[in-house]
Amino acid sequence: MKDRKSNEPTLPSRRRVLIGLGAAGGAFTGSLVAGAPAQADNESVTNAPVSDKTLERQPFYGLRQAGIVTPRPAAGMVASFDVLAKTPTDLVRMFQTLTEEIAFLTQGGEPPQLDPKLPPSDNGILGPVVTPDNLTITASVGASLFDERYGLKPYKPARLVRMASFRNDALEPSLCHGDLSLQFSSNTPDTNIHALRAIVKRLPDLLLLRWKQEGSVPPIPVKPGVPPGSARNFLGFRDGSANPSPHDANLMERIVWVQPDSDEPGWATHGTYQAVRIIRNFVERWDRTPLQEQQAIIGRHKATGAPMQGTTEHDLPDYTNDPEGKITPLDAHIRLANPRSHGSEANLILRRPFNYSNGVTKSGQLDQGLLFIAYQSDLEKGFITVQKRLEGEPLEEYIKPVGGGFFFTLPGVANERDFLGRTLLEAAGAAQPGN
Amino acid sequence: MASNPPSAQSGRPSPALMKLAIAGAALLVIVAGVAFYVASQGAKRAQTGTTEGALTVTITDATCNPNEITVAAGPTTFTIVNNSSRTVEWEILDGVYVIEERENITPGLSRSMTTKLAPGDYDITCGLLSNPRGKLHVTPSAASTAEAAKPSMTAFIGPLAEYKVFLVMEAGALVTATQQFTDAVKAGDLGLAKMLYGPAHAAYKHLEPVADRFADLDTAINARATYFEKQEEDPAFGGFHRLEYGLFARNSAEGLAPVADKLLADVTALQQRVRGLQVPPEKMASSAARLLTKVANSAAMGDEDRYSHRDLSDFQASLEGSRKIVTLLRPLTERANPDLAKSLDAAFDATATKLAGFKPQDQYLSYDRLSEADRKALADQFASLSTEITKLNAALGLE
Amino acid sequence: MTLRLPLMAAALAVVIGSLAQTARAAVAPMDLVGPVSEYKLYVSEKLQKLVADTKAFTDAVKAGDIEKAKALFAPARMSYEAIEPVAELFSDLDVSIDSRADDYEQGEQDPVFPGFHRIEYGLWAQNSAAGLGPVADKLMADVNELDKRIAELTFPPEKVVGGAAALMEEVAATKISGEEDRYSHTDLWDFQGNFDGSRKIFELFRPLVEKEDPAFVEKVEANFATLDKTLSKYKTGDGFETYDKLTDADRKVLAGAVNTLAEDLSQLRGKLGLN
Repeated sequence: MKDRKSNEPTLPSRRRVLIGLGAAGGAFTGSLVAGAPAQADNESVTNAPVSDKTLERQPFYGLRQAGIVTPRPAAGMVASFDVLAKTPTDLVRMFQTLTEEIAFLTQGGEPPQLDPKLPPSDNGILGPVVTPDNLTITASVGASLFDERYGLKPYKPARLVRMASFRNDALEPSLCHGDLSLQFSSNTPDTNIHALRAIVKRLPDLLLLRWKQEGSVPPIPVKPGVPPGSARNFLGFRDGSANPSPHDANLMERIVWVQPDSDEPGWATHGTYQAVRIIRNFVERWDRTPLQEQQAIIGRHKATGAPMQGTTEHDLPDYTNDPEGKITPLDAHIRLANPRSHGSEANLILRRPFNYSNGVTKSGQLDQGLLFIAYQSDLEKGFITVQKRLEGEPLEEYIKPVGGGFFFTLPGVANERDFLGRTLLEAAGAAQPGN
Repeated sequence: MASNPPSAQSGRPSPALMKLAIAGAALLVIVAGVAFYVASQGAKRAQTGTTEGALTVTITDATCNPNEITVAAGPTTFTIVNNSSRTVEWEILDGVYVIEERENITPGLSRSMTTKLAPGDYDITCGLLSNPRGKLHVTPSAASTAEAAKPSMTAFIGPLAEYKVFLVMEAGALVTATQQFTDAVKAGDLGLAKMLYGPAHAAYKHLEPVADRFADLDTAINARATYFEKQEEDPAFGGFHRLEYGLFARNSAEGLAPVADKLLADVTALQQRVRGLQVPPEKMASSAARLLTKVANSAAMGDEDRYSHRDLSDFQASLEGSRKIVTLLRPLTERANPDLAKSLDAAFDATATKLAGFKPQDQYLSYDRLSEADRKALADQFASLSTEITKLNAALGLE
Repeated sequence: MTLRLPLMAAALAVVIGSLAQTARAAVAPMDLVGPVSEYKLYVSEKLQKLVADTKAFTDAVKAGDIEKAKALFAPARMSYEAIEPVAELFSDLDVSIDSRADDYEQGEQDPVFPGFHRIEYGLWAQNSAAGLGPVADKLMADVNELDKRIAELTFPPEKVVGGAAALMEEVAATKISGEEDRYSHTDLWDFQGNFDGSRKIFELFRPLVEKEDPAFVEKVEANFATLDKTLSKYKTGDGFETYDKLTDADRKVLAGAVNTLAEDLSQLRGKLGLN
């Protein structure tokens, strides 16, 4: 029987990790094959859809956490937590247990079988064997963790602040901030849900769920010879065109990862800042807006995602011969966000968003929008600068940020003796390595 | 014969509905090809024969020759020759919109087509719809670049609506001021009436740019004695200047009551007319220029208010009324010809400064106190302002 | 066979509908000058009333006369709600005059929470005018500033025409749900203001659209009539019942009419050849 209250983290060897079951090591976007292949004898309307991607797996250990430059799969979620630990020791335990749980969930394996008189150790959504399904779980900490509770104040990342309202915001306190954020991404919503439930079950005394938002992106058919395009958002536009390329290592070092020689605290090296925004879209109103107005507001052609004077999504916008905004309006969303003027390369951010669709508002309108997630090595120069540039944009008629928060994504976990948050806790003198 | 609507019991749809469905099917099949025909139901011009300097396009069964054309922007003439075996059409398309086309060109015949092309890349349809489309590249020309700076008609809606509102509000202010003025006249309060003459008259001046649109009322409200055979004694002489004559020249309100009543009735009628007024865009600048030329003449002669000598405040009101017009057009002028926008500002400012020079201690001098040289200088200033304004219509593409 | 026909009839209807919509507007730009100028005159009248009503309202607030202030709150807002498409062009003033507690991090307790709704909160939720003096003064100053700025504004014609739909979007998003005036529950007053403003714009441009598409005009008028008829049920003297009196059934009728009007009026600009 597993002692759940033990301070010793349970060893990965207790669980049978999936090895050599044909899991592809790298990432390729999974697709769900809807509908069971014809099986005349076992035909049922409730047969599970079949996927050939459940064994896709992303490595967990590394210099940096996964889920940032990792290609974004179809399903995502951000869950924010209050940390309930009362002492630094508890805080260490929280991080170590969380690390162990994440390692298991992202690599897959068989959860321990318990006596049936006890509640099962795993929620069982994915069946008796947990499949990785391309899952990454990225852990980040909020400014509130650096308050008086754990003595971490002197070690707060230099630019980490509690997210303040921007002019068009209508932030709901119940959807904002948090001590800890977890970004889940995988091929299917159920994998994310399974993982969230596992973590919640594992750490009830140490983590309290504050808010969560799930999201998805629509898959597109495979077209040989056609370069991949950004997935569309709920305004019907491609979202992520001109996103910096994760394959450009130098660029990623410059704009995403905190460098060893930066002015951030040493422990924060190989981390990054995470900006999460829950942005409601007034979709009924958008759908009643003339197409040319939609395109002028965004600054791109809707069908292709091309900039106004381009033909494909991958053409770069060029404003040099358009100083008065006659081709791309000066207040078009993409032009405000990145005017491509001298110096604007300092404000690049890596976006990794999902679309969300919640319920129905009191007015009978749809509560849908964008779960915006961005990563950058400098929160001020990145998201905050870009968001301030967007103030007053015509798109504001159609969007309303209602939640989210600013977090600092912890450096990666090197190996089984390492754990999330170790460098921070070591810097604060609270942790012993490799316990 | 009434058609039978389908009933739940019959199980067979009515003949009417079936016919509709079949017609619908036919429509569905050809709708793709029909779409841009429908969109292009513009006027069809029938021209035959070749035109001097035209670009010839020959349509054969499978193609057009040439199928890739480059021309400069501006009016262009094409001669389309049908050397194919079917009746064809030839179109210039911008996306799905037809810019211009020639339909029903019979085999062996040619048709001519002149159109004004704006810079851009277009498709050309080439005979049969199954033929591959050609390309038309229209390069910018000096004329087209200048043209692009000119505002579209839609751009004038805002300024014209604003001017209309100004006129309506000013007309309302005129009625109020005239009411107060004529009340004082009828009460025999000379001092008050003399004081109120200026503001009431100035309110009319604000409307004067469009005065020629209501010439009958203009004569009744503002004609000077010199227009009438018997001048000041002429019974038809009325309005502001008749009251001015009584108050300032005769220093009496005697007999003025009916004149006052008529004036009030006339400005009230004017208010109604202004509400229904439609000022075409080209009239805005031209009426301001014309008014200021009149002002220049009056400045030289000193005969606007020959009894009260309040000419200077009238000139100021005319200046304000004209400046309103130019100000409303300014955003369009700025885009079309920024230098002209600046020079107009400068000219207005200079004129205002010149006027202010005759306003010691915040009171305009009596016009009879101005020297001949001063009057001429003032007249010249207004004349040159008027000349500047006459450049507006050309700059805005209204000429 | 029987199943296919309705499908084809529907497809036919779609085709005919789309053919009608590709027709370009036959409205000359100069035809729009009259209605746009009339709209500005309408807005000027509403603004004069807004200034006068706001003065009376803020005076009552500053005098601590809670009952009087409460009585004057909703009527003052009607003029603002009627002209919202133009007022919104000045977003700083719109925020300062009309924003709600959700736009502020600390909600009702946020010291920056301004305008009509801040005063509404004091009067209804706290039954007190204490501390509202400065808020009232700022509201009056903002309304005066709005008056001045609108007087100097050349109204963009597409904003005028688009305003009819924009007002219905306002109602669809916040007035239908009762979130606009959550302390006083005077949402139906605001609703009437939005409705008047939208209908005014439509009526001004109606003759131009009627030539091209009388069926469209008939449909829009029918929906306006439904709104009018339904809202009228809640009239009391000079004003309206509070939002909680709105029955579920009527709320749904209103929502249906409002959403359909938003859809239909969203075509007005295109039909008039604007934007």
